[in-house]
Amino acid sequence: MGSVIDIVRDNWLLLLIGQYPNGPLGGIACTLILSVLGIVLAFPLSVLLALARISPWRWLSWPATALIYVARGVPLLMLILWVYFLVPLLIGHNVSGFVTMLVTLVLYEGAYLAEVVRAGIEALPKGQMEASRALGHSYLGAMRRVILPQALFNMLPSMLSQFVSTIKETTLGYVINVPELTFAANQINNRLLTQPFQVFFILAVIYFVVCWTLTWAATQLERRIEAKRAGTAAGRAAGRAPVATPTLAAEP
Amino acid sequence: MITFNQVNKWYGEYRALSDINAEVKRGEVVVVCGPSGSGKSTLIRTVNRLEEIKSGQVTIDGHDIHAPMSSAQLNRMRSRIGFVFQSFNLFPHLSALENVMLSPIHVAGVRRAEARDKAMKLLDRVGLAAKAGSYPGQLSGGQQQRVAIARALAMEPPAMLFDEPTSALDPEMVGEVLAVMRSLAADGMTMMCVTHEMNFAREVADRVWFMDAGCILESSDPEAFFRHAQHPRAQRFLSDLRSH
Repeated sequence: MGSVIDIVRDNWLLLLIGQYPNGPLGGIACTLILSVLGIVLAFPLSVLLALARISPWRWLSWPATALIYVARGVPLLMLILWVYFLVPLLIGHNVSGFVTMLVTLVLYEGAYLAEVVRAGIEALPKGQMEASRALGHSYLGAMRRVILPQALFNMLPSMLSQFVSTIKETTLGYVINVPELTFAANQINNRLLTQPFQVFFILAVIYFVVCWTLTWAATQLERRIEAKRAGTAAGRAAGRAPVATPTLAAEP
Repeated sequence: MITFNQVNKWYGEYRALSDINAEVKRGEVVVVCGPSGSGKSTLIRTVNRLEEIKSGQVTIDGHDIHAPMSSAQLNRMRSRIGFVFQSFNLFPHLSALENVMLSPIHVAGVRRAEARDKAMKLLDRVGLAAKAGSYPGQLSGGQQQRVAIARALAMEPPAMLFDEPTSALDPEMVGEVLAVMRSLAADGMTMMCVTHEMNFAREVADRVWFMDAGCILESSDPEAFFRHAQHPRAQRFLSDLRSH
């Protein structure tokens, strides 16, 4: 146990920010930036993909469906290698491991999130779209003002758990030398040579703490959304059960 | 104002509407009744093209809504017909006021302040000015349906369609919705209502259409219809209703 503490004391900065400022930003910072950028950029892509996939126009829905199937049907590591070798061919010059990993994550997460978005849209009652169209809204107008605001709100917990997956997926950046947390841990291990168990134990604990915190936050969020919905249902019963509201509101 | 001309609709092999010919005149209140599965809801939904038809025309002020047209044209025509659903279909993420304001702002291009004033007037008219800030989940079924009526009225449609507006309500809430519909009728609104509320039909309707198996079997004034329906199927329907 003492050696674990020693390793952390000697290497905390490397685990936190990698070799920055003498090298690229790495460690947890790199992992988090990669995950946040990945999910933030994947989100608009996923909404577009989902809209294309459920659109009534085949020339739009078929390519979107194909892209989603391919991205979901291929191991992430393969996708990383494709992007790693293909992107430089397409744009004519090399890109950093970070950019490669980011592009891959955006494609991969975009495809997964697109299915979450689609499920969120399709879970809404059909009457929402009908009522909007009956009032004269266009299909896209109804999507934007009526369907998506509801669907995306309902999807918040799923999106947060997708973000947790993304954090874990960034570890694969290690194979193309992205200086994220796993890469930093491996550097430490290579230097120490004799204490792999301790080093990778620390690594596991860090990932666990980060991911568990976010999963916990997702659960809290889900509970609040459920409480809000239950409050709505209680409200629907009008005067009958006004007691239900304060009880729910008292929950943190 | 609304005319059906040789309207036919099929669901696969099933003929949902067959050779419908009928007219709702301006200012008229028509109640459509009949057993479930008779095609009432399908018929009323063809008026703003929520249902497509196989053949025939449905015209509103002389314009065939089922004619080939751009989606912008269809949206414009739809915005001129109010539609009230059985399941209210209020937008749960918006307050009552925002529900009523949404379409005037984004479909009709009314300025926000103006839309808000008008929406408040409409909520007041359906007796819900005090609930303007409430979300649909906080309203009773009857209140939700009244907000839905205000929402439809906000587009100032010359005609209103009601598709079983009280069927999803608890009995004690039916009255408040019917009262709003009565006051609309009294103001001369052209209305087409699918409903099982026979008292409403008797008191408010100018004509009653009786439907079965996709046909309008009888179209008469309510007095005559309730005293002595012509068609045997309609007689049976009415005696079934009375036996409850």
